[in-house]
Amino acid sequence: MLVLEDLRFAYPEQVESYAFTMEARASEITAISGTSGSGKSTLLDLIGGFAVASDGSLSLDGEDLLPLPPEGRPLSLLLQSESLFEHLTVARNVALGLPNADRKAKQQIGEALEQVGLEGLEDRRAAALSGGQKQRVALARTLLRDKRLLLLDEPFSALDEETRAATRQLVRSLTRQQNWITILVSHNADDVRALADRHYVIRDKRLEQIPVEPIARSS
Amino acid sequence: MAPPMFESRHSARASHLPHRPKRVIIASTLAVLIALLIAGLFANILVTAASTTGGTLRTDIWHLVRMTSIQAGLTTVLSIAIGIALAWALNRLRFFGRDLVIGVFAAAIVTPGIVVAFGMLSIWGRSGWINSATTYLFGESIGNLAFGLWGIIFAHLILDATFAARILLERLDAIPAARLKIGQSLGLSPWQRFTIIDWPAIRGSVPGLAAVIFLLAFTSFPIVLLLGGGPANQTLEVAIFAAVRQQFDLLGAVHLALVQILVCSLVILAAAARPPVPISTGVSTGQNWHDRGPARLLQWGVLGLGIAGFLLPLLAVIFDGVVADLADVLTRPTFWRAATTSVVIGLSSAALTLILALGLGLGRAASARRTLRLGLGLPVFAYLAVPAVVLSLGFFLSVRNLGIAPAEAAPIVVIIANALLALPFASATLGPPLEGLVQNKAKLIRSLGLNSWQQLRYIELPLLRREVGVVLALAFCFSFGDLGVIALFGTQDFQTLPLMMYRALGSYRSDDAAVIAALLLVATILAFIALPRLFERLLDARS
Repeated sequence: MLVLEDLRFAYPEQVESYAFTMEARASEITAISGTSGSGKSTLLDLIGGFAVASDGSLSLDGEDLLPLPPEGRPLSLLLQSESLFEHLTVARNVALGLPNADRKAKQQIGEALEQVGLEGLEDRRAAALSGGQKQRVALARTLLRDKRLLLLDEPFSALDEETRAATRQLVRSLTRQQNWITILVSHNADDVRALADRHYVIRDKRLEQIPVEPIARSS
Repeated sequence: MAPPMFESRHSARASHLPHRPKRVIIASTLAVLIALLIAGLFANILVTAASTTGGTLRTDIWHLVRMTSIQAGLTTVLSIAIGIALAWALNRLRFFGRDLVIGVFAAAIVTPGIVVAFGMLSIWGRSGWINSATTYLFGESIGNLAFGLWGIIFAHLILDATFAARILLERLDAIPAARLKIGQSLGLSPWQRFTIIDWPAIRGSVPGLAAVIFLLAFTSFPIVLLLGGGPANQTLEVAIFAAVRQQFDLLGAVHLALVQILVCSLVILAAAARPPVPISTGVSTGQNWHDRGPARLLQWGVLGLGIAGFLLPLLAVIFDGVVADLADVLTRPTFWRAATTSVVIGLSSAALTLILALGLGLGRAASARRTLRLGLGLPVFAYLAVPAVVLSLGFFLSVRNLGIAPAEAAPIVVIIANALLALPFASATLGPPLEGLVQNKAKLIRSLGLNSWQQLRYIELPLLRREVGVVLALAFCFSFGDLGVIALFGTQDFQTLPLMMYRALGSYRSDDAAVIAALLLVATILAFIALPRLFERLLDARS
């Protein structure tokens, strides 16, 4: 379980600091929403280690994450764009999820791509993929990394409706199957309704848990 | 209804650009005038070559081409390699004074070559710091290391490697924060980070940068003149000067000029043939990913060597200037005449450069036709094909053919030539932001019904005030430190500080040269820092 307790952060010249308290569980998708500039991405930066908290605690299954740099935290990231290195091939992008490129790597990459429905695209350059395919490649890499936490920052916002629904479904099933703790930041109500097992809203720099709308369970 | 000019299928650009026919006409007129001037100068060189029968070619052209190419090639390769290493180190390290170091590196582009050459002599010359130290410590000197091929290359590296570092650092700093976050979360090693994230961000800039550095080194004049150490290391540019001023061999000079133009044009064509590579701009805000261990040590080492290599010769120039007889030089009327001439020529060239760059840039940004835009951009690159000494030779021959004494035409010629030399850099500074601004604000400008003057007065000048100041500073500094143009036209009555310094060195008055070098250096760096700020405030207050 990921636990944030009064995790505080303030930008320079900001008088009142953010203070985040929340819980996120394994095999669940915890959605964070809020208005533009409310601090959604700041929260992800704090969990990811890209911003340094001034106070409070952040732990994963009892382990304190705050002293760890981003590369030392057990997490994978999926962003709206830039999740892939576009000049590399699909296989090379996915291979970055493996600690060592050994003989098994090719097979593992193939299996990961198969799981996200992109088998056979290993040698294609990432730049030549559609928005939905790029996100699937990033998910394949996440599968190989096999980290506990998956942080999603508006990952569906550049996708068309059909691709969006399919990618959402993939995220949901992988979270269940891999036992990930998935945190989704989104300002899109449909994404939140479709995916959230838990839902927090940021208001006045604080997290407030609100009930999940029924549609979330049925989608 | 849209005017016919904007009714082509050329681009979606046309549909929302404000209609500014006068801007296009002014820009076209300027472009034609520049093209005619260059063509006239070039024609004069060709006519002289064809009609001169009495002269003999006393120079081994192939030796010169070979030497110039070797020198420029080595300078380019080493500048790019060192520039990448310095940019990499500066991108990673955060320390007190980082902005100052970056600012000093940015000033490298305007540091007068003659000052750098003097700094090299102060450090590595026969009576330089290194020889003084070895004589004191070991009882013997290690000889003159400032002269010859490696002295020239080292002096070029001081200017060009730091110039490369500054450009490449901008590319590294513009890497999107999201890409860095992904890389950091994946735990990329320093080497993986360089190959997967950094190199793709900078590789698009390397060919163009290499071409510019090659041309700068190929056409380098004062450094080769002072550090060449004899015919063995002479380059085409210096040989042209020597042919005109020392050997009075006009035919030889014309032949050399033609070869120079041919080689430079080939390099420009090769660089222009590459498709443009999109680059990121802006400053990434998410940079808190620092390398650790050996990579970090290497970054500090690279930065330390870079700062020492760049700053030591310049500090030596200032030190030598201060310990020489400063008061004696400052009380001489000839010094103040040369200083006034330098400032007047610098300011006049800067004003002319701004008028040309702004005139061409505004017209280009207002134009929707691709061919017209291309045509308006071409004269800007006159300098790259026709370097300083060749341009001066063209002016020199034209003035003579018109029956005017070169000394009489000198002030006007030096101002125009220096403005043309600064134009590529001015256009590169002003053009892209001007185009972006017109594109982004076009709908707003049209919806508000602003006329051309209002657009310039309330939108373009206030938003581009920094770039306008940078253009003026660049043009002033180039002109202020120029030796290539003035060397052909200068007389005892008409001389600038660089020419006065060169003459002082030639007559072994090294104390005088030291004082002038120090003043040139300080004035250039002050102008480069102060002029952009001054104009930023001036235009800001008026907007």
